[in-house]
Amino acid sequence: MRTLGILVAALTCALLFYAMGDFPPWADPGSAAHTHVSPRYIEKTMEETSVPNAVTAVLADYRGFDTMFETTVIFAAGVVCFFILRLPKKEGPIFRRYRHTLTGMTIRVKCTRKIPPVLEEFEMIDNLWAPHDLIIKTSCRILVPFLQLFGLYVIAHGHHSPGGGFQGGVILGASMILLAISHDLRTALARMGEKVHALLCPIGVLIYAGTGALCLVLGRDFLDYGALAGILHVDPVTARSHGILIVEIGVGLAVMATMIWIYNNISSRGEYDEGL
Amino acid sequence: MDIIVVFLIICGLVFFTGGAVGILRFPDFYSRLHPAGKLDTGGALLMMVALALFNLHHFSLATVLTGLKIILIVVFVFLSSPTAIHGIVDAGVRAGLGPWTRGEKRR
Repeated sequence: MRTLGILVAALTCALLFYAMGDFPPWADPGSAAHTHVSPRYIEKTMEETSVPNAVTAVLADYRGFDTMFETTVIFAAGVVCFFILRLPKKEGPIFRRYRHTLTGMTIRVKCTRKIPPVLEEFEMIDNLWAPHDLIIKTSCRILVPFLQLFGLYVIAHGHHSPGGGFQGGVILGASMILLAISHDLRTALARMGEKVHALLCPIGVLIYAGTGALCLVLGRDFLDYGALAGILHVDPVTARSHGILIVEIGVGLAVMATMIWIYNNISSRGEYDEGL
Repeated sequence: MDIIVVFLIICGLVFFTGGAVGILRFPDFYSRLHPAGKLDTGGALLMMVALALFNLHHFSLATVLTGLKIILIVVFVFLSSPTAIHGIVDAGVRAGLGPWTRGEKRR
């Protein structure tokens, strides 16, 4: 069996190396990737969109249609996770355990399914509960605001440096997930509830598609941000730059909300009560 | 200036080498995390300070800002890396993994 596996791997490897012969030579100026659109992007990006980072301009302007459906794919992933994993709310009472933080005594309370408010002297204990670690809790609490600030910086600074909506959205989502890991899911849900992130997710996609549709209404092509010049009171080139920023904000919102949505559904097994 | 930068970078490399050797050579989970947490953080500190100094060759607002950003990276590595190692060690203790004692086999 093992010999067979090695044989298959070696054959695949040989096939891939054989296929490599068809590639253009390394750094060949005549190859297809370097002759048609790349020189145009590199030469014209600054004068057509006034965005110094050509990658952002290609991503959100020249190939904006592609990026819009990438955002839609992320939205679809969130929705699919929700529909597969989320369980309907069960009725009837359940037992919850609380620990008195001063004495360490544990009590069992019969209560409703609704998540009860946070009490000052009692700490809720999950079924698979491990005591919270003060060091991890504190340093995560210090880090989370800086993470969120950095996420916003990455979204806003995508014009000038590597970054943009996808990366910034992932950082923003990770900050909320870090909060859910270091504290518990209920703490994170109290900051950003299920309804909020389930709404932010389509709103992000809507901002992107809406910007495109607005350009269409104003008499230009779909996602041709130059049409926004009249609304924003700037010249068409700057309007393209601003249009890219608006679209990046939409992407950031959608990505952030989807990350949190998927994490919450998986970690709580669709119950939105006890997390990791 | 250059001498200080090179000295700091070499010190950082010594720290990183020690960390890598320690991760490979120490006998068990906990002692292996020890170089991973301490030496990598210390090495990162020395390297980043060296880079920030090197960046200040031409003194202007832009280079000072870049240097500050590099120092910020150090601050956050200092906060997060020991916390992460602490979390991993804590998980090992809670899972019931005992520490290695002399005379036992490496694991």
